[in-house]
Amino acid sequence: MLNVVDLYKQFSAERNAIDGVSFEIPKGDIAVLLGPSGCGKTTTLRCVAGLEHPSAGRIQIDGVTVSAPQEKIQIAARHREVGMVFQSYAIWPHMSVLQNVMYPLKNRGMSRDEIDRRAKEALEMVGLWEYANRSATALSGGQMQRVALARSMGYSPKLLLLDEPLSNLDAKLRTRLRVDLRRIIKDIGVTALYVTHDQSEAVVIGDVIGVMNEGRLLQMASAQEIYNKPTDLFVASFTGATNTLTGRVLARTDSTGTIDMGQGAQLEAMLPDLAQVGANVTVAIRPENINIGVSTGVNTFQARVESAQYQGSQTAYTLVLFGGTIEAIELGSGMRLTDGQVVPISLPRELCWAFLDKT
Amino acid sequence: MALISAAQMPQKRAGTIERMLPWLWSGSLLATLGFLVIYPMLMLIVGAFTVVSPISSATATEVSRFSLQNFVDTLTSPAVGQAVLNSVIACGAGTVFAVILGVMMSWIVVRTNTPARRIIGEISKVPLFIPPLVAAVAWSILGSPDTGLLNIFFQKMGIAININLYSMVGLITVFAMYYCPYVYMFASSALMNMDPSFEEASEISGAGALRTQFQITFPLIAPAILSSMLLSFVIMLGIYGVPAVLGLPANISLLPVHLYQLTVLSPPQYNAAAAVSIIMILVTLVFVYLQYKILAGRSYVTISGKGFRPKTLELGIWRWFTFALALIYIVVVVILPVFALTVMAFRKFMFIPSLASLFDLTQYSMGHFESLFDNPQTLMSMWNTLEVGLITAVIGLAVALSISYTVQRSKAPGRRLIDMISTSAASIPGLIVGVAYLWAWIGLPDGLYGTLWILGLALVGRHIPDAARILASSLIQVHKDLEEAAWIAGSGMFKTVRTIILPLCKPGVIATVSLLFILSVRELGTSLFLYTADTIVMPVLLLGLYESGTLGTTAAFGLFQIIFIAGVIGLANVIRHLVTRNT
Repeated sequence: MLNVVDLYKQFSAERNAIDGVSFEIPKGDIAVLLGPSGCGKTTTLRCVAGLEHPSAGRIQIDGVTVSAPQEKIQIAARHREVGMVFQSYAIWPHMSVLQNVMYPLKNRGMSRDEIDRRAKEALEMVGLWEYANRSATALSGGQMQRVALARSMGYSPKLLLLDEPLSNLDAKLRTRLRVDLRRIIKDIGVTALYVTHDQSEAVVIGDVIGVMNEGRLLQMASAQEIYNKPTDLFVASFTGATNTLTGRVLARTDSTGTIDMGQGAQLEAMLPDLAQVGANVTVAIRPENINIGVSTGVNTFQARVESAQYQGSQTAYTLVLFGGTIEAIELGSGMRLTDGQVVPISLPRELCWAFLDKT
Repeated sequence: MALISAAQMPQKRAGTIERMLPWLWSGSLLATLGFLVIYPMLMLIVGAFTVVSPISSATATEVSRFSLQNFVDTLTSPAVGQAVLNSVIACGAGTVFAVILGVMMSWIVVRTNTPARRIIGEISKVPLFIPPLVAAVAWSILGSPDTGLLNIFFQKMGIAININLYSMVGLITVFAMYYCPYVYMFASSALMNMDPSFEEASEISGAGALRTQFQITFPLIAPAILSSMLLSFVIMLGIYGVPAVLGLPANISLLPVHLYQLTVLSPPQYNAAAAVSIIMILVTLVFVYLQYKILAGRSYVTISGKGFRPKTLELGIWRWFTFALALIYIVVVVILPVFALTVMAFRKFMFIPSLASLFDLTQYSMGHFESLFDNPQTLMSMWNTLEVGLITAVIGLAVALSISYTVQRSKAPGRRLIDMISTSAASIPGLIVGVAYLWAWIGLPDGLYGTLWILGLALVGRHIPDAARILASSLIQVHKDLEEAAWIAGSGMFKTVRTIILPLCKPGVIATVSLLFILSVRELGTSLFLYTADTIVMPVLLLGLYESGTLGTTAAFGLFQIIFIAGVIGLANVIRHLVTRNT
C-alpha cells in the first residue's frame, strides 16, 4: 500500500535528516515510526504527506509514485489523497466543527448531499455529531484531536498519517485515547502511518513498529519482535534494555555464542550473524528479564546487591556483576534483598542480545 | 522529630511604617497619574461643560454653572459638521488603503520567496519614523498642482498627467502611505506566529495555495488586521501636520485643524475647543471599545513554545512581480519624498526649467541650511526639543516602570485602578492631550504654562500606555521565580528591582527610552497647543517655516529632522547591541 524506498532528505550540508529509509505498509495495517526527537520520523511522515520534498528516493501510495526526485516527480500534497492528523491538530479556529470537517470535502467538489452525508458520518464515527455547530475554539484537547481525525477521514483517504496525535494531551487521557484511536482506525480499515516518541503508545497502536535513530530506520517489526529480538543496540536500549555489558566473542554456534565478560566470567547470548570469534560486542538486557534468586540453567552468576530502591509495586536493585553494575527489577510489593547481600541471578540466554561494537 | 511551633520562630512585628508602605506607594503613583492625566482631563471636561474662560480667574459659582451651550454650538456648527465629514472620509479611506498596502507588504515579506524580502521588510518600517509633517511637506513639494516635482517631470516628459495632492485624494494617499506600517507590523507578526500546520492541513485537505491563503491564512490574521485598522484610524484622526499642509491650501478642514483654529482665534474659543475635544475622545473610545470587543477571545494566533518557521510560498516567476510591487512601494514612500526634500533643501532657486537642470550641480548650494541656522529660533528649537525629549524619556521611563512593575508584579492596593487610568490615556488623541494641558495650566500664573516641562509632561501623560506596554512585555519574560529567588537570598524589593529586574529587562528599557525620545521629537499635535515663543520645538517651527512659504528652508529643516531621528535610532541600536552583548 505505502512503499518507501531509499528515502533521503537533506536540510543542511552536514547531516541527512533522513538517511536511506525503506519500508512498506500492507493495506489496512498501522505502522508506527518510533524514535527520539530529531530522529527523522516526522520528516519521513511529512515526505509521505508531500509537505516536505525528499532529496532522493521514491514514495509510492497505492502503486502511484508520488515522490521520486530523480525522475522529477513530486505530486502536491493536495493531490495525494492522504489524510493527516497534526500534532497541534490544526483545527481552524475561525470555522465551526462541521465547517472544519466539510472543508476537505468541498475542495473535492462533491455534491451538497454527499458533503453533508460524509461530514455527518465522520463526526458520528468519532462521537462528536452533537458538537457539529460548536465553535472549534470551544473544544477540549481530546475533542479537537477527534475532530482532526474526522476531518482527515471524511473523504476516505487512501492513507492516514498521524503526527504524534496524542502528545498534547494529559497522561491519563492519552492512555484511554490510544485504545480508541486504534479501534477507530481499524474499524475503517484505512492504512495508517503513525509517528510517536512514546514506546508504550507505539506498542498499543501499531501492527508493526519501526524504530528510527539519526535518520535511519533500524528495525521494523511487530512489537513482540522489537521487544524480544532487537537487531540493533539502539533499538534494544530505546525500548528499555538499559543494561549494557561489554565482552568478546569466544565461540559461536548457530545463532548463539559464548562471550568472555572479563574476570573469567562467560555469558551465553544471542549473536548477530556478523559476529565472528574474537569480535568485541555489547550485550543488552532488560532489567525485568533478570531472574533474581534463580541458580539453575545457563548464565547463572553470583551478584552482590549494591543498593535497593523500593518503588512500591516493584523494587529496583543495583547489582554488581562482572566488575560493573546492572539494574534489575523485581515485581511485587515485597522487598526481598538488602544492601550487601550476595544472591544468585540467572540471565536467560534468549533475552541477552549481543551487538557488534562499532569500530 | 523536632517540630518547632510558630511561636518559637524568631518573630519580627512589622512596624506601622512598613505596613503603610504599599499604601504610600500606590497613593503616590495615583497622585502622579492624577497630576499627569486626571487633572488635565478634568479641566477639559470643566471647560467643555461651562462657559468660563480658563484665563480669567473664575469664581466657584461660575465654574459650578453647568452648561451644554458649547456642545449645542459645536454640533450645530456647519464648519464642525464639514470637518467631521472630511475627517471620516480622509481617515476612513486612508485606513482602507493602509490596510491593503500593509497586508500586501507583510504577506510579501513574511510569506513569499520574493528576492531581498528581509531588507524590504526593514525598509517598510521606515515611514514610522518619518514625522507625518515632514512627509506631508515632502509630498507637497512633489505633488503641488503647479510647482510639484512630479508634475514638472510629467510635463517635461510630455505626459498629460497633472496630480494635485492639495486635495482629499492627497490626504488619503499620504495617510495610507505613512500609516500602513502599523498594519504591516501587526499583520507580519500575526503571519509569522501562525502555526504552519493550519495551512498544511488545508493543503492536505486538497486546497490549492491560493485557496489556502484566502480561506485559511487571511481569515486567521483578520483579528490582527482589524485591530491595526482601528488603531491607525484613531491615530490618523488626531494628526495635525498632514491636513494642515495638504488640506488647508484646498480649504479642506479636518477636525484637528478646526480644533487648532479655535484656539488661535481672537478671542480664543477655548470652551468650544474643549467640547470638540470631548467629542473626539468619545469617537476614539468607541473605536477602542470595538477593538477590545472584536479581539476578546478571538486572537487565533497564539505563540506556542514550538519555534516554527513560517512556510514561504514558492512564487516562481511571480516573485519578480511581488518584488516589483515592493520596490514601487519603497520608491514611492521612502525614496521619492527624501529625494524631493533633498532637491529643495539644496537647490538655490525653486524654478526648474528642464529635467537636466535637476542634475546641474551649479544650481545647488548650502544656502538654505545657512539661512536655517542663521535663524536663532532654529537653534533654540533644537535645544528645546532635546530638553523636552529628555524630560519625556527620563520621567516617562520612571513613571512607566513604576506602573508596569506595580501592575504586573506587586500586590499593592489599587493596582487595578492604576492600570485602568494609565491605559485609558491611550484613547486620547495627542492633540487633545495638548488642549487638556492648555486648560489645566494656562490660567495658573507661575505654573507650568510657558515652560518646557509642560511640553514634556504632556508627552509623558500621553505615552504612558505605550511605554508601560513595552516594559510589561519585557517584565513578563522575567520569570517570577528569578525575583523570588532574590528575595529568598535576602534582597529587598527595591534592591531586587535594581539588581535583578532592570538588568534582565535592559532591552525593554532601552526600547522604551528611545521610543519615548523619538515620539517626543516628532510630536506636533500636543506641542502645538502648549508652546510659547521661548519654548518652540522643531516640529512647530517647521510648520511655521512651511506656512511662511520659505520652501527651501522648510525642506532643509525637514531633512535635518529625518536625519536627526535616524541618528537617534542608530544610536539606540548601537547601545542595545553593546548592552545585550554583555548579558
